[in-house]
Amino acid sequence: MIEFNNVSKVYASNGVHALDNVSLKIDKGEMVFIVGASGAGKSTFLKLIMREEKPTSGSIIVNNMHLETMRRSKVPYLRRTMGIVFQDFRLISKMTVYENVAFAMRCVGKRNDAIKKRVPYILELVGLADKAQDHPSELSGGEQQRVSLARALVNNPEMIIADEPTGNIDPEMSYEIIELLSEINKRGTTVLIVTHEHELVKSFGKRVITIDDGRVVSDTADDRFVVI
Amino acid sequence: MSSFGYLIKEGFKNLAHNRLMSLASIGVLISCLVLTGSAIMLTINVANIVDSVGDTNVTKVFLDDNMTKLEAVYKGKELKEVDNIVDVQFIDKDESIEAYREQLGDEVFANMTGDDNPLPYAYSIVMDDLSKYDDTIALIKNVPGVASVSSHRDVAAKLTSLSSFITTMSLWIILALGIISLFIISNTIRMTMFSHRFEISIMKSVGATNAFVRVPFIIEGIVIGLISAIISIVLIFVLSDAIISAARNILDFPYTRFTEVMWPIIGIFCAAGVVVGALGSAVSIRRFLTHEGNEVLGW
Repeated sequence: MIEFNNVSKVYASNGVHALDNVSLKIDKGEMVFIVGASGAGKSTFLKLIMREEKPTSGSIIVNNMHLETMRRSKVPYLRRTMGIVFQDFRLISKMTVYENVAFAMRCVGKRNDAIKKRVPYILELVGLADKAQDHPSELSGGEQQRVSLARALVNNPEMIIADEPTGNIDPEMSYEIIELLSEINKRGTTVLIVTHEHELVKSFGKRVITIDDGRVVSDTADDRFVVI
Repeated sequence: MSSFGYLIKEGFKNLAHNRLMSLASIGVLISCLVLTGSAIMLTINVANIVDSVGDTNVTKVFLDDNMTKLEAVYKGKELKEVDNIVDVQFIDKDESIEAYREQLGDEVFANMTGDDNPLPYAYSIVMDDLSKYDDTIALIKNVPGVASVSSHRDVAAKLTSLSSFITTMSLWIILALGIISLFIISNTIRMTMFSHRFEISIMKSVGATNAFVRVPFIIEGIVIGLISAIISIVLIFVLSDAIISAARNILDFPYTRFTEVMWPIIGIFCAAGVVVGALGSAVSIRRFLTHEGNEVLGW
């Protein structure tokens, strides 16, 4: 669950108004696309959700935590409630697929026996069970993104945040990735996808929030969003 | 606890990965610790020598050359009456020359016995209160027929001042080297961290706490400290043994060997290694995690 109330963000370093009085609510179990041109404020939106940045004004609630007053030491526990998928996959090249996914569990202090049970299950879920011992460099872009997704899912987060998940992969694979995210959403996980690929977004008919120049310019439950 | 095993393994991996800087850190820390150890050994031994010299608490009083044995023996009574003197012991000059027999050789020695003996009669005296030493010496010198007074006190004083000079010098050098090792260790860890910034950003994105991110680097620092401590201990053991053996040829004395005092030194070294290592890494981790290591999305 994400709730923004009159959130503005001005970067002190360069005075850029990245977000301007944004209010929105994303409920638990929703699948939402965030679209907008580069520089529209999508990245700032994500950074605020992850508490990499603090809002200049307004309040943000993510998974029942108030981010504007949150102490730094609590940030890791916020991040454990979300799985993040990056445009550039962010896989560790010297680790195998299995180790990359297991790494996320180690980071939150999970025990070895829990890791041994959970990782094969998640790899099965994203269809990579047979690639567990491969290194990322041996995989296609789509497969790498699925590893990244497996890593995001492995700690059983309440929500998945995907930042341009299809940005570095073939168009036909892109559809597959969004389909997979949609599958995960059906199992009850909130899914937030930031993208600029309008065609892809259209075909899924989900809620679309369009951000332009730091403002929410449209928030629709179907594909009739504003094209910019 | 399983994740702790994992973190320790990571710490060792980092160390191996960053060999050159690790070696530099270990080298500087070793020189710091070896110097500390040498200063400790030197201080202990000089203190021992001074103590044992002081313990004998014997001052020799030499009488005038032309005094006959009878006159000399009578002088003893006079000396004993001097304030603060508890005991006097007559030293016959025939006995004194005997000590030089071997050095002189039999032929020369034969020419130096009896009336030809160049040494004076002497007394060894024992004082009651050493704090009145200088006053007592002045009183002895006033006794007619006393030519000179000698004691080891000058040697002891010189040794003590030399030792304290060396100790002070070492303290400054140790302090400087300590700061340098802190700096180098902190830089080593910073480099390791920089080369691991990708992993760190992933760790932070999946919700690893700063404490968790920190552990492998702290372990790396501690391992650097401990390795330096162990090598330093071995070095001091070898070095002090060699120096003591050499010193024994010059001045035979029951020197304190490293093995007699090693446990507290080993303890101090290991503790110092751990503290410097942990502190050095903690400083750089703190800086790293609050600056570049804090970004997840856009590094």
